[in-house]
Amino acid sequence: MKSLLRRLQYLFARRQRESELDEEIRDHLARKAADLGDTGAARRQFGNVTLVQEESRAQWSFPLLEQLAQDVRYAVRDMAAHRMFTAVAVLSLALGIGANTAIYSFMDAVMLRALPVSQPEQLVILNWRAKDNPRVVASHWGEIYDHDAGGVISPNFPYPAYELLRNNQVFSSLFGHMNAGSLNVVAEGQAEIARGQYVTGDLFTGLGVPPALGRLIGRTDDQRGAPPVAVLTYDYWKSRFGANPAVVGQTVRIDSTAFTVIGVAAPNFYGVNSSVKPQLFLPIVSIEQIGWQNSKQGLLANRTFYWIELMARLRPGVTLETAQAHLAGPFHNFVYNTAVTELERSNIPALSLQEGGSGVDAMRREYAKPLWVLMAMVGLILLIACANLANLLLARAAGRRREMAVRLSLGAGRFRVIRQLLTESLLLAIAGAVAGLGVAALAIRAILALLANGDEAFPAVVGLDWRVLTFTLLMAIAASLLFGLVPAIQSTRLDLTPALKETRAGAPRRRNWFSLSQALVVSQIAIALLLVVAASLFVRSLSNLYAVQLGFNAERLLTFSVNAAKAGYEGPARTRFFADLESRLAAVPGVRATTSSDMPIVGGWMSSTVIRLPGAPPPREGQPRTGSPYAQVGPTFFETMEIPILQGRALDERDTEGARKVAVVNQVFAQKFFPGQNPVGQHFSFGGAKPVEIEIVGVARNARYNSLKREIPTVMYLPWKQTSQPLPQMFFDLRAAGDPLALASAVREVVRQANPLVPVAGLTTQTRRMDQTIRQERTFAQLSTWFGALALLMASIGLYGTLAYGVARRTSEIGIRMALGARQGRIVWMVLRDVLVLAGVGLAIGLAAAYQAAALLESFLFGLKPHDPFAILVSAAVLLGCALLAGFLPARRAARVDPLVALRHD
Amino acid sequence: MGNVKTEIPPGTLHMLILKSLVRLGDMHGYGIAQHIQQTSDEVLQVEEGSLYPALQRMLIKGWVAAEWKQSENNRRARFYQLTPEGRKQLARELRNYQQVSGAIAKVIEAV
Repeated sequence: MKSLLRRLQYLFARRQRESELDEEIRDHLARKAADLGDTGAARRQFGNVTLVQEESRAQWSFPLLEQLAQDVRYAVRDMAAHRMFTAVAVLSLALGIGANTAIYSFMDAVMLRALPVSQPEQLVILNWRAKDNPRVVASHWGEIYDHDAGGVISPNFPYPAYELLRNNQVFSSLFGHMNAGSLNVVAEGQAEIARGQYVTGDLFTGLGVPPALGRLIGRTDDQRGAPPVAVLTYDYWKSRFGANPAVVGQTVRIDSTAFTVIGVAAPNFYGVNSSVKPQLFLPIVSIEQIGWQNSKQGLLANRTFYWIELMARLRPGVTLETAQAHLAGPFHNFVYNTAVTELERSNIPALSLQEGGSGVDAMRREYAKPLWVLMAMVGLILLIACANLANLLLARAAGRRREMAVRLSLGAGRFRVIRQLLTESLLLAIAGAVAGLGVAALAIRAILALLANGDEAFPAVVGLDWRVLTFTLLMAIAASLLFGLVPAIQSTRLDLTPALKETRAGAPRRRNWFSLSQALVVSQIAIALLLVVAASLFVRSLSNLYAVQLGFNAERLLTFSVNAAKAGYEGPARTRFFADLESRLAAVPGVRATTSSDMPIVGGWMSSTVIRLPGAPPPREGQPRTGSPYAQVGPTFFETMEIPILQGRALDERDTEGARKVAVVNQVFAQKFFPGQNPVGQHFSFGGAKPVEIEIVGVARNARYNSLKREIPTVMYLPWKQTSQPLPQMFFDLRAAGDPLALASAVREVVRQANPLVPVAGLTTQTRRMDQTIRQERTFAQLSTWFGALALLMASIGLYGTLAYGVARRTSEIGIRMALGARQGRIVWMVLRDVLVLAGVGLAIGLAAAYQAAALLESFLFGLKPHDPFAILVSAAVLLGCALLAGFLPARRAARVDPLVALRHD
Repeated sequence: MGNVKTEIPPGTLHMLILKSLVRLGDMHGYGIAQHIQQTSDEVLQVEEGSLYPALQRMLIKGWVAAEWKQSENNRRARFYQLTPEGRKQLARELRNYQQVSGAIAKVIEAV
């Protein structure tokens, strides 16, 4: 090892070493001459001075390294000599590697990256698992997922369970967090919405996250009765407070409670749940002060309300299994003691730990599968690019047969020549990878914009970190082997004598390299077909989504929400505030109509309640009860949304708080619950605990509710003025005379005049909001269209290159044919026949593969089956068209061959 | 015997150089070659063509160190010196050599 270092030193002081050696040898000669008394004899005895020097120098050298330098020099010279080839190669590799790098960086951000905390590998996430939704969970905030291995899994726990599990020997700390959602943060007189997260007092110390400024939330802040404090994320501190250090100690009002800012968290720390990306952290005890309406009291003491998410750091030397075995018993006992009925005792959730180094995996659930699909697509694109390059290299190798034969016959080792050819490929690949990083940076930005689509930023931090760069480098090396190895082996496998005898123009017609290149073209066509089929499936899904009958008019609608509860309005004052605001909004110039509702009409929201229909038997314990989704809307809802009333009347100004309780139902509701009857005038009871008697006054035409993708459910529209509890927030829809976004600043001003402490949230157009709900489909359709186009382009270039080269090689043959009287049409057909054969074989293979692969995409499709014949036929036709186009140019050139020129060619 | 010159057996040149340096302290290339020649009663002839590559190799390996010094006749020369690493290497090579030559001797005597 040391000798390697010394050699390196020699490498850098080469000049000096050489002159030293020179001097030493001269000294030697002088001594020898003095001893012998004869300079000539001394020289003769010494022998070849240069050779001695050379052999001495050889001791310092790195033969491998120097050969590599030689190879690189040679390769660079060669790349410069073939500029067109180099440009095509680098460009296609840049696109292929760039696309892979971009998608991989999303995977890295969403699925692989560890939290920016100390020793993330010690972190574990606590979950519980059960056979199915356990009855003992009386209330639940959060998620219950189907577990891959059967049953269900959920990350939410009751707060008392957290307090119990904290006493243990296996964790060095156990901490909890809960998404606080949108908070109304009033600082310096400005009200703005910010995303918050509740954390326990030991979260920051447990994770080992340092403050960037001030201090972080600690155990003392997380006691009931402690003064309310808040910690900002680094980004929020910069964007909202201009990175002003004086913010520490300042008071901000959060949902109308005063909090003192005590510090700023370290940069890059966004909590443990990558799908939320909060902007500020609050102690978990403050959830009782500012949490949801019905949670205000007793949440922290409630033993059957499951909500807090838990993470822990294992003590050194403790394994996940040990920890789970240790705590499973206490948790079981805790839950068992909260069970009341036999039914509840029959399905007790069991504690289940999982590795937590990358944080909470909600985002992984959402994006893992789409990302794998995209990764597969870009992987295929890189394969096409590699096949292209392999083909180009094969063609070039055929042109270099003489050169290779000369080198091999002069004694160059075959391995040495292969190594030199691979150096060339690697160099190309690295150049491609460097350019690919640029492509990736652009692609990442484009994809982020696509995903965000005007909404707040994509929660995960995506970028080119060292892991992505490593991936890119590995990708380049793999690619260079993939496209370089076979041509290198092929081109050094030569029968030397005939190859040396070749003239420059014509090689003997040994076609085995050509069949390899045909195989490459066929595989390119097959792969391209796969990608084009995927693209057309996704595009058709998206167009199906856009073609969905909305049932209301989404044009020129501006939509936003305001939360009056968070600004401190209570009870009837809140209702008055909303009603007053709506009439102010209606007066804004350019607003044609307004309406309000308790949820966005198509935005992933849903409220549902139990109903009891006339004549139905009273519900029995344990029986599934009849229920229906509903929306609470303002008096001008149907008019503004342009939903036609088919029977009876719409809701209107008559339906006030004191009036008879009424509802308008949709057609699905009418047909399901009142088949063959007129529902208008019918009564039903609404709600489970304190049912209200409601009269149906009208039937509205079906309109989308909750989602574009789901079937329209039964929907009841109720006047929000008749609700039992005043709504905390209201969604407004404004029909504009012109561009709805032009109203944005006027709307903000009107709300500010109504009350400066009430912020406007989610201001956007209705169409954009609906786009938000199908952003996965949009992103897929767009990306796969790009990918499909890229694949088509590359496959066409590959086909074109192969055919053009084939035509060039057959120039003299074509000349003879024409001299013998072949028509131009026959020559064109001769070339196109090759195209058809190649494309036909490629399409056949591609169709078989697409048939298999498309089934994997089923869950991403809307309104069509994966084996949609239209999509597949169109794709095949597009591909065939491209192939013919790519083939037509060489064919035309072949037909224009001048027989005289061609025959003189040799 | 005076005129009979024998090539140095392959693989032993390093050992001979190292051994000479033990004897001579520090010495330039010419001196080392002379020393080997004289001590072997002119039997072993050190070719310059192998001496200098060998010295360079030993420098790289760290068995010897070199230094430019004024020599007896006021001429600047590169002097080689044994390093601790070189001493260890010499011991290794001697052990090896003795084993081999002992074994050869046994074979020869057995005839």
